[in-house]
Amino acid sequence: MKNITKIISLSAITLALASCADLGSNPTHSAERSRNLNNPAVAGETYAQQVCSTCHGLNGQSINPTFPNLAHQTKEYIAVELHELKEETRLDPKAQQFMWGVARNLTDKQIDQLAEYYSKQPAPINTAYADPKLVVEGKKIWQEGNLSQGVPACSGCHGENGEGAANIPRLAGQHADYLYKQLNVFNTDYELVNDHKDIQSEMELPGTQENGQPWRAGNNGAVMELMAHGLSDEQKMAVANYLQTVR
Amino acid sequence: MKITGFLFKARGAILALMGGLVLLSSLDANAIPIFARQTGFKCVACHVGGEYPQLTALGRYFKLTGYTQGDAKNIFGELTTNLDRPPFAVWLQASKQWYANTEPGGINGNAPTSQFDAQTVSLFTGGHLTDNVGAFIQWTAAKYDPNTTVSFGPMSNLGWAAGIDNSEVRVADHIVNKSGDWIFGAYLNNRITMSDVWNTQENWTSDWIGYFNAGFNGLVGLAPSTILQGGASQHNVVGLGTYLYKDKTWYAEAAVYRHVSNGPLSVLTESTAANSAPALNNNLYMRLGYNKEWGPHELFIGLHGLYGSGDPYGQTYGNGTAINGNAQVNYNAFSLANPQAVWQDTGIDAQYQYILDPHYFAAHARFTHETIENSSGLLGATVANPVNMLNEYWLDLTYIYKAQYGAMLFFHGARGNSDYYAYGRGADNTGFRQYQNGSIVAGNGAYYGGSANGSPDWDSIMPSIFWSPYQNVRIGIMKTFYTRLGGTTGNSITNPLTATNVNGVTTGNSPGLSPSAFNTTMLYTSIIY
Repeated sequence: MKNITKIISLSAITLALASCADLGSNPTHSAERSRNLNNPAVAGETYAQQVCSTCHGLNGQSINPTFPNLAHQTKEYIAVELHELKEETRLDPKAQQFMWGVARNLTDKQIDQLAEYYSKQPAPINTAYADPKLVVEGKKIWQEGNLSQGVPACSGCHGENGEGAANIPRLAGQHADYLYKQLNVFNTDYELVNDHKDIQSEMELPGTQENGQPWRAGNNGAVMELMAHGLSDEQKMAVANYLQTVR
Repeated sequence: MKITGFLFKARGAILALMGGLVLLSSLDANAIPIFARQTGFKCVACHVGGEYPQLTALGRYFKLTGYTQGDAKNIFGELTTNLDRPPFAVWLQASKQWYANTEPGGINGNAPTSQFDAQTVSLFTGGHLTDNVGAFIQWTAAKYDPNTTVSFGPMSNLGWAAGIDNSEVRVADHIVNKSGDWIFGAYLNNRITMSDVWNTQENWTSDWIGYFNAGFNGLVGLAPSTILQGGASQHNVVGLGTYLYKDKTWYAEAAVYRHVSNGPLSVLTESTAANSAPALNNNLYMRLGYNKEWGPHELFIGLHGLYGSGDPYGQTYGNGTAINGNAQVNYNAFSLANPQAVWQDTGIDAQYQYILDPHYFAAHARFTHETIENSSGLLGATVANPVNMLNEYWLDLTYIYKAQYGAMLFFHGARGNSDYYAYGRGADNTGFRQYQNGSIVAGNGAYYGGSANGSPDWDSIMPSIFWSPYQNVRIGIMKTFYTRLGGTTGNSITNPLTATNVNGVTTGNSPGLSPSAFNTTMLYTSIIY
């Protein structure tokens, strides 16, 4: 036993030293595989592998629904959102918890490269469970809207199959949990901006927070506030479930 | 805000809440805002429900890639981060304890509670040094000595004794190619299991806040742990390890640890009391694991092991005077010059996590089987068993809602074969005393605790609840129940109040203490900035 221990111990030390030596001997390695988020020399593709992939997956298909699928997303939408995250004009909790830090020093070029990278990934096929009843209800809302509450058909802007266009995001195959939560974020924004005038009157500028930014998930998503407000929780869940199944 | 002003105000607020800070030099866990500053993440990104020390998949990745992600300035000053992000973080903890046994002069001293006070302060630095090298460096100053809690009650004052705490330097790389996703690297650190990223190993389980619980401290022989999981090696060893994590699925790690007291590497053991922890010869630490993510779920199953030798006991247990006919030998506290034991610790551990806001759930389980070969020189003139076996278990469940309200439940204990010489010992800060069926067979210290029948078996349950009104603040209360100690569920633990010591021979131990005499309740607050 003692000899075996010695042999394995020596092997471990050798391996450790070898890995140090290898890393130290490759000065060009830095920009190729850097996780330094404040280095303009690092390519967007490198960040996609070294940083983004931890949550969003190597190919832009995430596992945990906390994190949205980015695969095959429109290039324009990714760029717009990364700029909003960088400028901290997108204010939803997850954006603040995760993405403000990641995006804060990205250059325009890196944002463009990241947007290009993810838009080129194969479209996600989401096999997670979706409630069949909700899927049927969601499809109806997707195609017809909820006109009595002023919500037009979602497909009108996002495309018949949720493929998105320019800065209007692709939604097909997105995680239902993520979509539902984002709809609620939009709804919260709506209520903050429109429903609570009494609270706002105590603030210097109604509908703004301390730093002067509007209380909303992001300027690009402002149009969604009214839509989200016009859907019940179940309807939001239904649309989210439907979109998860769309390919 | 100035730190001093912040701490002063914080203390006032805590007093008002009767909260307390706590700490632990084993401070097993820490949200290091320095990492948050570097990455821009909130605590909840890397820690389950925002509650350190439990890591999410993202937190694991950050550690395994050498604490390098983010935009901190490197050591050459290149491509810098904002200078308004301080390279240090401070952690203050305060607490108040209530002890079950409140007899004056009893096992918890004359006071049934501890004073509410700040108990420990930690300073952190580290993070990204180069694109491949990063560090996690912690110093801790303790106001009180937790090891005196049991025998003398409410903590003797250490006067903010400071020393190095969990500290690690990593070099790591992450390669993605056609053969897969490879994360690999090496580390140098000062505590076995500090490299753990699944929170199943002793250094990073979530009982850290229980540092000042009576039962886990000073109960020599009553609540023994394996060498690997006992935390006994903390900060007086230095280890060099290497690891590989492939496709976020397969994990392998091997390291060698040994006691270091001088030379350049002793900077990692600075101020750690050489006589307070086992002295380890070369020890091999290994892990193998399988990790799987699906949806919001993540499962890890692994093997762990420690194989080596050293002086695990170290107490000065004799003054040269024969007691009960046994010659007593003096040894220096914990030294490789002492006789050595040889051990093999092997175990299995697992983690399950469900992370999908607003629900955060985690469970960890660990089972470690130890065989330890003793010698007569280690334990006295006689060896009860040439080889002892100890099976230690740990199970914890954590649920956190909205990253603000949490509850935890821990189960911890062990089973093993009886050995009067290894486990029949009571201890205080003047020495220890060895018991056999209630009689002293060795030792000249005052005497508290000690297994009456030499059994190492023990069980404990620790429920706790906590609240994080803000991500940098945690206020909680936890209770530790002991249902079995020293092999007994009854009242046969040696009781210093009912035992009589005549010329080194103890007679009478009725009634003895029951395990519940060691129960502890603690209110704590921790603030990190």
